Amino acid sequence: MTEPQTARTEPPPIAQPAVDGKYVYCIIRLDKPKDFGSVGIGGGQRVYTVHYRDLAAIVSDTPLVIYDPTREHVLAHEFVNETVMREFTVIPMSFGTVFRSEDDVTELLRSTYQAFSDVLDKMQDKIEFGLKVLWEREKVIANLERENDEIRRLKDEISRNIASSTYFARMQLGRLVEAALEGVQSRYVADIHEALKPVAVASRSNKVIGDRMILNAAFLVERTQERAFDDKVKEVSRRYEDLLTFKYTGPWPPYNFVNIKLKLEKAN
Amino acid sequence: MGLLTKLLFFPITGPVAGIRWSLGKVQRVVEEELVDDTPVKQELMELQMLLELGDIDDDEYARREAVLMQRLRDVREWRERLGMATAGGPVRVAREAGDDA
Repeated sequence: MTEPQTARTEPPPIAQPAVDGKYVYCIIRLDKPKDFGSVGIGGGQRVYTVHYRDLAAIVSDTPLVIYDPTREHVLAHEFVNETVMREFTVIPMSFGTVFRSEDDVTELLRSTYQAFSDVLDKMQDKIEFGLKVLWEREKVIANLERENDEIRRLKDEISRNIASSTYFARMQLGRLVEAALEGVQSRYVADIHEALKPVAVASRSNKVIGDRMILNAAFLVERTQERAFDDKVKEVSRRYEDLLTFKYTGPWPPYNFVNIKLKLEKAN
Repeated sequence: MGLLTKLLFFPITGPVAGIRWSLGKVQRVVEEELVDDTPVKQELMELQMLLELGDIDDDEYARREAVLMQRLRDVREWRERLGMATAGGPVRVAREAGDDA
């Protein structure tokens, strides 16, 4: 870790107040000051609280810069949220949210007090898990060829060159395989959701990333159900051991289940 | 007609030509999606996935991340220049009409 003093991305120009900006990580319910250590973004800034009534914003000092979503920055943001999450229910802020001053942060808490309070109640003792499922397309296709008579017959005809038109047969085979793949994909996805539904409070499907992914979902889980959820994920991943790869992450703050539209404007 | 002639005798063509140039440029920027960071963010997520799957190592990640970050900054710069909304930088709670503050 570098020294906090040398870690600023850009030293603030002279004649301007020193590092007054506040990077906000999340909102929690807490009415007395607390220090979370020197783990903040920009090279280990001190992470502390800014208060309004029984709400607190978790912040660290920052120059007024735009944070690129580099891995280093994103990991710092996540690390703070993970640390806070061990003790508190959190409402995570979007990556890169910087306010000009402590007063502006207080104003955020004051003006959004009711919405923050409601969401904190709803999210009490709930955590998020991420589940990405990728498939081995070739293996799934090989499986299809074994199970689907029509695909097997066509493939056989093409390979023995007895189809009346190999070109046409190939086209037909391609279409059949695509349709069958789609069917298999939605069956897998439905099956996984079905298995996890009893141990989750809610789930949300996000856009898949890359061409191997068939499921990119987030699950909201009661802390008391963490073990049960864990076991279910393991069980369902064993069921598809040869065909699917499960990427299971968490616990996260409920990024996918908090939807407060903050009315923020630029403060340049 | 040389540049000097233009400067000396037709000062008016300067700004007019300038405006035409920048309008054409705006058109091109919009068409080429230089003001949309969605594809860059998509690529960033794919890159992250490759790293998590072990398909690329840390060095390769850092190298490709740097390229994507530069593209993000370029997009931001274009959007600022064209007066479009940009993400990032200091914010404050928006003051609404009729707010008691």
